Amino acid sequence: MKLITCLILTSLALTSSVMQADEPLRGVIDRELAAGWKSKNITPAPHSADAEFLRRVFLDLVGTIPSQDETQKFLADADAAKREKLIDRLLADPRFATAQADTWDLVLFGRNPGNADATRKRDGFKIWLAKQFADGVSYDRMVRELLLGEQPGSEMFQVQFRSQPEEATVLVSRIFLGTQLQCARCHDHPFDRWTQKDFYGMTGFFVRVVVQESSSGNNKAYTLGEKSTGEVLFSGAAKDQGPGKKGEPVKPKFLGGPELTEPVMPKDFKEPAAPKNGEKMPKPAFSRKEKIAAWVAAPDNPYLARAAANRVWAQFMGRGLVHPADDFTEQNPPSHPELLNAMATGLKSHQFDLKWLIREIVNSRAYQLSGTGSLREALPTSFERARVRPLSAEEIMAAMRKATGYDAEGKTPANLGNAGNEYFMRYFGEPTNGLGEFQGSLSEHLFLNNGEHVRGFVRRKKGNLADQLLVSNDPWEQRVERLFLSVLSRPPKPAELTKFTEYLKSDPKPEPRLEDAIWALLNGSEFRFNH
Amino acid sequence: MKGVAVTGTGLVLPNWGALAQAKSATEAAIKNKKRCIMLWMNGGASQLDTFDMKPGRPTGGPFRPIASKVSGMPMCEYLPKMATVADKLAVIRSMKTQSPDHPDGIYHMHTCYKMSERTPHPEIGAVIAKYNGNPDSDLPSFVRMGSTGNGGAGYLGPLYEPFGIGRDGKLGSFTSPYLPEEGEKKRADLFRFVEDEFTSEHKADPFASHRMAKERAWRLLRAKSVFDSSKDWPKAKERYGDTEFGRGCFMARKLIEAGVPFVEVGQENYDSHADNFVCHKANMQLLDPAWSGLLLDLEERGLLQDTLVIWMGEVGRTPQINNRAGRDHYIRAWTVVLAGGGIKGGQVYGSTDVDGKEVKDNPVSEGDLFATIYTTLGIDSRAKHYHGVRPIWLTPEGTGPVKELIG
Repeated sequence: MKLITCLILTSLALTSSVMQADEPLRGVIDRELAAGWKSKNITPAPHSADAEFLRRVFLDLVGTIPSQDETQKFLADADAAKREKLIDRLLADPRFATAQADTWDLVLFGRNPGNADATRKRDGFKIWLAKQFADGVSYDRMVRELLLGEQPGSEMFQVQFRSQPEEATVLVSRIFLGTQLQCARCHDHPFDRWTQKDFYGMTGFFVRVVVQESSSGNNKAYTLGEKSTGEVLFSGAAKDQGPGKKGEPVKPKFLGGPELTEPVMPKDFKEPAAPKNGEKMPKPAFSRKEKIAAWVAAPDNPYLARAAANRVWAQFMGRGLVHPADDFTEQNPPSHPELLNAMATGLKSHQFDLKWLIREIVNSRAYQLSGTGSLREALPTSFERARVRPLSAEEIMAAMRKATGYDAEGKTPANLGNAGNEYFMRYFGEPTNGLGEFQGSLSEHLFLNNGEHVRGFVRRKKGNLADQLLVSNDPWEQRVERLFLSVLSRPPKPAELTKFTEYLKSDPKPEPRLEDAIWALLNGSEFRFNH
Repeated sequence: MKGVAVTGTGLVLPNWGALAQAKSATEAAIKNKKRCIMLWMNGGASQLDTFDMKPGRPTGGPFRPIASKVSGMPMCEYLPKMATVADKLAVIRSMKTQSPDHPDGIYHMHTCYKMSERTPHPEIGAVIAKYNGNPDSDLPSFVRMGSTGNGGAGYLGPLYEPFGIGRDGKLGSFTSPYLPEEGEKKRADLFRFVEDEFTSEHKADPFASHRMAKERAWRLLRAKSVFDSSKDWPKAKERYGDTEFGRGCFMARKLIEAGVPFVEVGQENYDSHADNFVCHKANMQLLDPAWSGLLLDLEERGLLQDTLVIWMGEVGRTPQINNRAGRDHYIRAWTVVLAGGGIKGGQVYGSTDVDGKEVKDNPVSEGDLFATIYTTLGIDSRAKHYHGVRPIWLTPEGTGPVKELIG
């Protein structure tokens, strides 16, 4: 098997990097990466083992690990096309939509979004987002709606910018256009072409957006309104500001594009009175919001497809071809320009169907490289080994539940008891520093070691993993095998089988030791990361 | 000396419990980089009723100043013990800052950046933990007691998050193992076996970081006795004052001595919009023995020259006394006090006008103050970091250390 992989990679490396018409994108991916390895004299990691691939693709596509049954079936399946078939099945799984919604929710809001009072609870938004993925709504349409905020739930994206149109400029440019404008907020960008005029030109599109709040009882609802008047005032660099200095109005201007042409408002125009609780604001005479939404989400917007392709690539491959994924500048060129072009072009010709792009990426041999080897980088720069990323808080919870059969017996509520979900968010929500590098934290491990929530997963409960293994009369060797399949989605290695069997056998009352065994696997690096 | 079998202070595993008592621990700590204790006056203490008094002026209030050991540095009559250690103090009377309210002031005076920027700046404690902490230590590198900062480790990452404890040394959530010691050990060994197997083929950095954090969590609990002050508090309480805040200051000294590079102790109830003088009189009576006791204790143990003690809050208070005998928030002219850690003591820096309304000379901004603090602790105040693609410096552009304050 290894030999074959090696041969294939070698032959890939020898092919020229000329794009062929109608070639599936996955082929382009492998060819372009192989060319890069060849030019840098890099030997990539071997092809992943089936179990390694299985766990990785489950987490990446549906946000959790496979069940013991799913693992056994997949590993036993002799079909040569089983990986491709699995990918198709997972892409059609309802969990695909919720997992992608979790991922994109984090992109769009982060863990500490603005306007926290309103955005802290945004279940309605997540439901809306999941529906977009479930319905296969194209990316450009999804982006347009995020900017319009007219469907129930979707308004929350702009609610986070309440009274802060500058924040909308920063986030919209970064996420959808792959362009970092925040420097140009206070001064012209020191090494990119953006000036403060560009920044405030974009802000002009958001300055008239109004977040309306209506409440019935304890529930608050939000809608987006828009005024017909109001301008961004610009008064120069932040260092030159002083009390009493007045700014000049800035005309809205599309990023790197023309100024907006808009009708002149009559001089005697007056904004209508503020609507009462529950009433919607009337539509503005001319909507700048509609203009920016149409421009950003236009299929021929010069940034949209490239930024989206690069972000999706980074989601599955660890780093963008342009890295960081949302920093497109002349000084930061893509590592594989042809590949980025191919992905962006393909995305457009496939009507911005993200599922198409995802299917191509995870079917590539590059995605399916092993995570083994001596390389220490978490996100290898040439994609020569599988990337290592920490599971998100949502994934950790889902994976722990799945691994330990937490929901085996009947219906279990979506949220863990005793504020479990909040704890998981607190300790696993932000595991990286400002450069996106993972850092293990003291509080995460105090929680894992001593918290009742984690103990609740490993402790025997009717029908769960501990219970199943304790009621079984099978030899311990077989039970250890099931333990590993269930938690780590693979059979134990010989040394592990021996060690765990001995550990569990050596006490006539094995229950506490079985708790230890499950706990040790749940706490290991192998479980903590997707690799 | 590195490795799991040896702790940061060079003691082998079986001695973990004895860390606090070990003489060598103190010696090792002294050799380490400089440390810092921040006494946080939550709500904002009044400069006019402590270190920048205006007796006889309409803004002066009822308290009388007393002379201190240093001429030209009078202080409030309710700080008599502090007056005897005035030679150690650098009183900055010319703080001129930008964030007038609590959450934003607390953030600003912990990070030296505005809260309204959405960049997650690290608190001073996280910065000192990163630069002056011992990565091999059994103890957390950023400890705090009481309500203090609101920024956390920011872009420096989870490694430098604050570790909260009670002023009596009581540890926070999830610090009591549910397994007996023997069971913990067995389970830990099984975990280490699992890790060894996995890492024989998987070498990426995040795995090592995960494993190290696990080991740190175990080591911390085994070094837990450092946090127990029940035995030595009865002797120390006379000096520090038998109060919660006094005990917190004593705990800070213990932790610094054990090698923790940053400890913050909060004192509550300074936000005296009403009854300012009642509040401040009561607070100072707790503050005076605790603070002076801390400075003397550090000095006696040879720790003061390497331990900076900061006294500050998020805002000062208005010179005008309002109609409820209160003072409101004031940021145009207020006071912060530094001592130890290479600060030149026995001096007053900057001054305010006759009523304390404006800074008369040598204004000091948040950035200047932090640059001074970092510089005296041996940290480059213009060290560059990144949040995503954005370069950020420890202190804002255009600010710098006040050289006169550093000895």
